[in-house]
Amino acid sequence: MAASNFPEEQKVFSSMSRSQSSQRSGVMNSASDGQKRRSIIAEDHEWSLALVPLLTTLCLQHIIKHFEEKPILHELQPSFKTYVLQRLPASLPLTITANLISDESYWKRCCEARWGLADISTYDNSWKQMFFERHLQSIIELFIPDTTDTKTVLDVLPLCQNYVKQLRVSQLLPPIKEPSRFDEDDGSESASDMGSDGPSMDHFDFRMLLDKLPNLKELSVVYCVKGCGMNFEWNLFEFTFRDCESLAKALNSCKTLQVFRIHRSKVDDEKCCVIVNHLLDHPSLQELDFSHNHISDRGARAIAKLLNRSQLKTLIVCNNQIRGAGAQALAHALAKNNTLTSLNLRLNRIADEGGQALAQALIKNKTLVNLHLGGNNMTEPAAVALSQALVENCALKSLNLCNNRLGADGGKVLEEGMTHNCTLVECDIRLTDVDQDSEYSICQALHANQIKTKHNHDPSAKV
Amino acid sequence: MHQTEAFAAGEEAEELRPSVESDKKEERILARRLRLAARKEAQTKQRLGEDDLGKEDVKEETRKSQKEVEHRERRMAKLKSDGLELVTNIQVAADARESDRRTELEEGHRLRREKLENEAKSSQEKFEEINRKWTDAKMKQTPLDLRDALSSQQQLCEQIIADKNKLISELQQELKASDDRYVKDLKRQAKDIDLLVERMEEQISTLKKSYREDLHQIENSLDEERRTLLTKHKKKWEHERKDRNEKELKNMMQSLSVMEEYADLLQKLRVQTAEEYNIDKIRMDTEVQKLRMKVQQTKFNCHMNEEKLDYKYEVLKKKEEENAIIKSQLKRKIIRMQDVLNNLKSKLTKQEKQSKAGNQSLSNDYTRISQQYKDMQKKARHFAALDAERLEKLWLMCEDEAKALTHRALETDRVIHEQQLGLEWASPPLPFMERSGAVQQKTFRTATQAAADTLKGEPEGGLDEDTAAGLNKRTVKSILELLCDEMGFLVESKLLMLLSPLEKNEQSLIKLDAIFSAIGIESEKDVYKMAEFFMNYRQHESKYTKDETANGQGESAEELSNLIHTEDLLAALKDFTAQFCRQDVHASHKSSILGLDMRDDSEDAAYWESIANVMPESKLKLWDALDTALNKYHAVLTERTELLMETQNIQQQNSELRQLLHLYTTSKAQ
Repeated sequence: MAASNFPEEQKVFSSMSRSQSSQRSGVMNSASDGQKRRSIIAEDHEWSLALVPLLTTLCLQHIIKHFEEKPILHELQPSFKTYVLQRLPASLPLTITANLISDESYWKRCCEARWGLADISTYDNSWKQMFFERHLQSIIELFIPDTTDTKTVLDVLPLCQNYVKQLRVSQLLPPIKEPSRFDEDDGSESASDMGSDGPSMDHFDFRMLLDKLPNLKELSVVYCVKGCGMNFEWNLFEFTFRDCESLAKALNSCKTLQVFRIHRSKVDDEKCCVIVNHLLDHPSLQELDFSHNHISDRGARAIAKLLNRSQLKTLIVCNNQIRGAGAQALAHALAKNNTLTSLNLRLNRIADEGGQALAQALIKNKTLVNLHLGGNNMTEPAAVALSQALVENCALKSLNLCNNRLGADGGKVLEEGMTHNCTLVECDIRLTDVDQDSEYSICQALHANQIKTKHNHDPSAKV
Repeated sequence: MHQTEAFAAGEEAEELRPSVESDKKEERILARRLRLAARKEAQTKQRLGEDDLGKEDVKEETRKSQKEVEHRERRMAKLKSDGLELVTNIQVAADARESDRRTELEEGHRLRREKLENEAKSSQEKFEEINRKWTDAKMKQTPLDLRDALSSQQQLCEQIIADKNKLISELQQELKASDDRYVKDLKRQAKDIDLLVERMEEQISTLKKSYREDLHQIENSLDEERRTLLTKHKKKWEHERKDRNEKELKNMMQSLSVMEEYADLLQKLRVQTAEEYNIDKIRMDTEVQKLRMKVQQTKFNCHMNEEKLDYKYEVLKKKEEENAIIKSQLKRKIIRMQDVLNNLKSKLTKQEKQSKAGNQSLSNDYTRISQQYKDMQKKARHFAALDAERLEKLWLMCEDEAKALTHRALETDRVIHEQQLGLEWASPPLPFMERSGAVQQKTFRTATQAAADTLKGEPEGGLDEDTAAGLNKRTVKSILELLCDEMGFLVESKLLMLLSPLEKNEQSLIKLDAIFSAIGIESEKDVYKMAEFFMNYRQHESKYTKDETANGQGESAEELSNLIHTEDLLAALKDFTAQFCRQDVHASHKSSILGLDMRDDSEDAAYWESIANVMPESKLKLWDALDTALNKYHAVLTERTELLMETQNIQQQNSELRQLLHLYTTSKAQ
């Protein structure tokens, strides 16, 4: 380094027009002077002023470093603001960042730091929303009643209440029993235990949550435990009556809710009735999903009552145990209803009586667009009724009848009905024992309808 | 062709047009407007084009690319729906299996229930049989029978238990079977899911592939179409170009022939014009020479003028400089003056302030002093009144005393005269005895009274003595009348208005009053003084006139100047007021201000003197002589009385001595 420095210094001397006669002494001098100069002229040749950090950047770095003690953001100029936001660590406490930072890139970094890759499209394309929804979701999913302090939830609430719009709870943990007792009361007394310990099996209480989320629109709940592995116990999958009541009250208190889903939670008729009763006249509810539960006719009747006392647009009760009576009740409600557009009764047991009732309701109804009756044990009479409905109805666009033993005659009847229909675009008749000929003709009719609707749409699009 | 031309034209226009990104606001607005207009035009053109030209093209296009696109779309839709079906088939199959399972389950439930019921019924029967046998067994007496019965019972019981066990094992087997099935189902579902995923992936890949293919195909078709169009247009273009070439050649040939014709014509014309040109040139040359001469002259004139103007310009410049100097001087002066003015102004304001303050203080002083003065006056008047009263009293007292003394003196005089002298006594004249009180002041008659008197005509007499100057009463009257007539301006107009209805005498009287008050004449004396002054003035004047107007006129002039000349009156009056009135006014003013009529005490001494001199000098001498004589007489008398007294004493002594002698004589006799 020193060697490299010499020529420069010599140059300096020559420029100072000193005598070059005693180069040696000059070098000596330069060495002695160099001691002073070295502090000024950098030895590094690559050194330049451009590399010195600006005072502003130093300040900004200081702000970033002490953001936790003193958050300064909105006072900054836009360019500095982006600089700070790009460099803020994702580990900052939420109490500071939640209401202060709205920048998406920061929350994207937070999300990626916490969960890795994620699909933002299901969260309204907002990283912040995604972060808070998943944050709250994970808190609820890991919440153990009586063990976890409710404060953990309540502390987070004021931070995330403005950003959470949908909650998808995929598990709810039951309270932990004392292991000693659990061992003693093994097997034989489990039934009695369940009776006595019933109240203690309650899950997370949604009442303290829902009325504090002013923007909540979607709620999905599953009362089960994920990944229990070999620790499987039936009462891990218990949806107690008290849970049901608290959930129903919470739902009633949340006036902004639009979508409610409860899957795989052993919702039987009683619980269904409780929930539906609390949802009566709800101002905003549009979609109700009771898939994969144990609802039978009584619950179906309750839901039918709800149909005409709400703004429901979508009702999904697939994989339940609704039979003919329940379907009749639903059909009765459907005949008067003018909001519902989609009804899903897949994998129920409504059979012919239910199918006929629904077909009759379809004649009167003018709003229903999608109807799924797959796997409902229907046969020829239902097909006859549906073909009549197809002739009369002019709103239905999609009909799913797969897995019903309609038979060849039923297929022919349907074919006949389809020839008079001009709105149906999709009709699924797989595994219905229908003749290939009639299936083909039905497909033709559907195709014709598709083209027709397309032509109807295209001019409108052009205009 | 049409379109391309239009397009080219449009592009050209666009180059000239103001751009939207221009800096100027107006230009941008203009650009937008133009763009809008262009769009509208294009739309109308399109419509027109559709009518005539477009139809065929459109039809052709639909034949090729659009058809291809539609075809591909349909194919894709079909592919999609097929794929969807393929994928959902699994779900449907699973659903079907599930529903089958459920129906089976239900069936199984039903069978099981039947079986259980049957079993329950049979076991119940058996149980009843056992029960029945129990009663039979009770009837039995012998132990052997009992044992048989018991064993048979046991057998039956075992049978029941065996049945039950069998049922249990059957159910357990069923449970196991369903467990197996559950596991199998799980496995199958896992397989299904795998299959589903596989199919989905497959679908995605196939769809991707087909999409790509489609895209490629469509692109190809479009390319081809474009190419064919291009070739077609090119051909057309070539054809048109050829046509044009031919036409141009033809045109060129035509134009060449025309050109030759024109060349001949030109040659002819050239020759003609050259001749004309020569003639013209000669004419023009002569004209040019003339004009050059003129130019020379004008140049000379111009030069002269220039010089003159230069000189004038110099002069003016110098003047301007001088003017500038003067201007600057004046400016400086103005500035100085301005300064002075400002100073003066400030001084003036200061002065004004001071004077105002002084004025204020002085006016205050004045009011105070006038107040004091008034007070003093009041006091003085009061004291004067008191003094007058006291004087009156003192006067009366002294007078009484004096009168008493004179009385006594007269009385004594009378006594002396009658008793001592034996003469007839006559009292001396005593005018003051009748009078009592202070000497009354003789009041002066005021000027107006005098004037009134004079105006009334003949004097009542007595005044002639006063007017010692020998002023004729008539002359005074005439003067007064003159005054009255001429000095009307001194009288107020209002007063004149009021006076109009009165008699002439009274009118003039009141007028005179006003005039006197204006001039400052108050007493009769003043009036006469004035009259005298006028007379003097007149005489003075007349002297002059006399000097001037020779002797011939003599008395007539005197007669004329009897009355002072009206024009001189004013001057005379002015002089008079200047000389006399001022002091008089002051004096009279003073006395009037004091409000006291100064007593004239000159006669008082005489009065008292007259009282004192009641006894004449001769009488006093007589009294002195009488006094001395009486004193002598008194001395004689006193001597006589003394002597009388002595004699008396001596007589008394004699008597006493006689007594004593008698005594002695009597006593000695004893």
